Amino acid sequence: MNVKYKNSKKLYNLPDEVKFCKKCVMSNQRPRIFFDKDGICNACRHFESKSNNKIDWNEREKLLIETLDKHRKNDGSYDVLVPSSGGKDSMYVAHVLKYKYNMNPLTVTWAPNAYTDIGFKNFQAQMKAGFDNILISPSDIVNRKLTKISFEQKGDPFVPFVMGQIFSPMRMAIMHKIPLVFYGENGDVEYGGSSNDIPFYKLEDQIIDDYILDFYPEEIKKYGISENELYNYSPPSKEAAHDIGVECHFWSYYQKWMPQSNYYYCVENTDFMPNPKGRSDCTYSTYASLDDKIDPFHHYLSLMKFGYARATGDAAHEVREELITRDEAVSLVRRFDAEFPSSEAYKYFLEYCDITEQYFWDVMDSWRSDHLWTKENGIWKLKYQVTNGVN
Amino acid sequence: MNTRIIVKLDAKPPYIVKPVHFEGLRKMGVPQELGEKYYEQGADEIMYIDIVSSLYQRDIIFEEIEKVASKLFIPFGVGGGVKTIEDFSKLFHIGADKVIINTHAVQENPDIINQAAEIFGRQAVVVNIEAKDWGNWWECYTDCGRIRSGKSVLEWVKEVEERGAGEILLQSVDKDGRQRGFDLELSKKVVESVSIPVVIASGAGKLEDIKEVIEYAKPSGIAIASLLHYDKLTVKEIKDYLRNNGIEVSK
Repeated sequence: MNVKYKNSKKLYNLPDEVKFCKKCVMSNQRPRIFFDKDGICNACRHFESKSNNKIDWNEREKLLIETLDKHRKNDGSYDVLVPSSGGKDSMYVAHVLKYKYNMNPLTVTWAPNAYTDIGFKNFQAQMKAGFDNILISPSDIVNRKLTKISFEQKGDPFVPFVMGQIFSPMRMAIMHKIPLVFYGENGDVEYGGSSNDIPFYKLEDQIIDDYILDFYPEEIKKYGISENELYNYSPPSKEAAHDIGVECHFWSYYQKWMPQSNYYYCVENTDFMPNPKGRSDCTYSTYASLDDKIDPFHHYLSLMKFGYARATGDAAHEVREELITRDEAVSLVRRFDAEFPSSEAYKYFLEYCDITEQYFWDVMDSWRSDHLWTKENGIWKLKYQVTNGVN
Repeated sequence: MNTRIIVKLDAKPPYIVKPVHFEGLRKMGVPQELGEKYYEQGADEIMYIDIVSSLYQRDIIFEEIEKVASKLFIPFGVGGGVKTIEDFSKLFHIGADKVIINTHAVQENPDIINQAAEIFGRQAVVVNIEAKDWGNWWECYTDCGRIRSGKSVLEWVKEVEERGAGEILLQSVDKDGRQRGFDLELSKKVVESVSIPVVIASGAGKLEDIKEVIEYAKPSGIAIASLLHYDKLTVKEIKDYLRNNGIEVSK
């Protein structure tokens, strides 16, 4: 093997024994997730706490309105910034802010690595629905190199995208002097990772300097990327964030977060469309993560490292939302989770990163966790997949 | 000839749900109650489809179907996860008048249409189409609008007619649940391609949409779901409107 073995298990501190949540289908191999003594994951426990009238949603809405009123401008300038892809979740948040709460949002989109047709149509649907938007598109040369580095070094081609997705709206908030930023969900809290359900954080507290250089200093030199070219992938300055007083709020704190409801809202109120090709690669769903041609490989690497992928994530939240039962989720996971992306997506990814098939599989294998995979007659197989019985 | 007004129940037992573009499982009610409600409103037929059976690769849940059938005194079509002649047989036994099939016939075994028509008569075999518009052609989808087949709708409808299908239920992935009108071109082309009855679904958002597709495509029937589930209209109101606009419908 030409690529150094990474030892995902050690890197992510993954438990030896694989378990699946008894309520949804999420694996205990998800980084930072926590299972309680009854074998239930903290995402399920969080959802229960929202459902059992333990949260006074009227009170939360009052808090929301107070926050909005504090920032409301009414002078034509933007008073809230919504980092948005044009997907169902960000579109929902922006739409409700504008049309229900009479705010004047600016939507900011960090372009996907490579737009799909439907992704670009949904991006345009934002403007059709009445929003101003700033689209920030990075240099394709730099972005491809970083994506390749990240694929090999981080086991996820999406790290540079995520950095741009986080930092570029923040920079826009500072440039346009919009202290209020609204995200959809607090992902760690909603899908498993942290139990710290907070309404917002202050941007200045989250900024770590030299973010990307810390990640891959050697590779960045090797690929001849200059520091100037990393602007979009680097955080804005702490001082600027402090001066504007940027606060990043989570919609999911103020309102019960239901991805399916967001979908219905969008198809009823905007031109949002699900995937015209039917289900997306590696899952059964047609309405999430539609905009990037290389997206399936973000999920496929999760399968390498953690032994679960996209269908598990989709099914887990649909179980929590009581749309499907755990048994139904198990059928869906077993049918779709370990699927290799379409040949069209595979070909595109190799071309995008400018890599050979041999290199692709060397990198995949370098991230494959020993405790999750076994080779039978020359074919890699997952040792554990969720079943109907208690795991 | 009367144009039949059919109510389509998208089932995910134990509920009736209503997706948009075949996505989403928003609950609309309980099968038995909705079946009875639309029968009383004057529906000419009910078509009940378990929309997740093929996708979840599971057996048909007969109990729910039997409960709905027991309350209906109009033709009752049932589909979702039908794979064998035994499935047809069992469904007729518990009260289905027609059996609706898509995924298995498209992806695995089209001969099941021939076999079923031979055994049960062609009037009892309905082929469900989940059509996706690609600009210059329409593709058959399966597994609740999720899996492509590569088959052309306009070729497939002719093939299933030859194989013995007695009726087509034409749904559109692009129009389903959106309530913004039917796929008119597709509807017309399918009706003109076959001589068996065609029921057109997907897109009714207002009375004018229904009138428009009937006049344009001249189908044998129209299938409606969202408009009725959200109580925007009743079957009776739809029929009264059509009658007043010169379209023949049953009382």
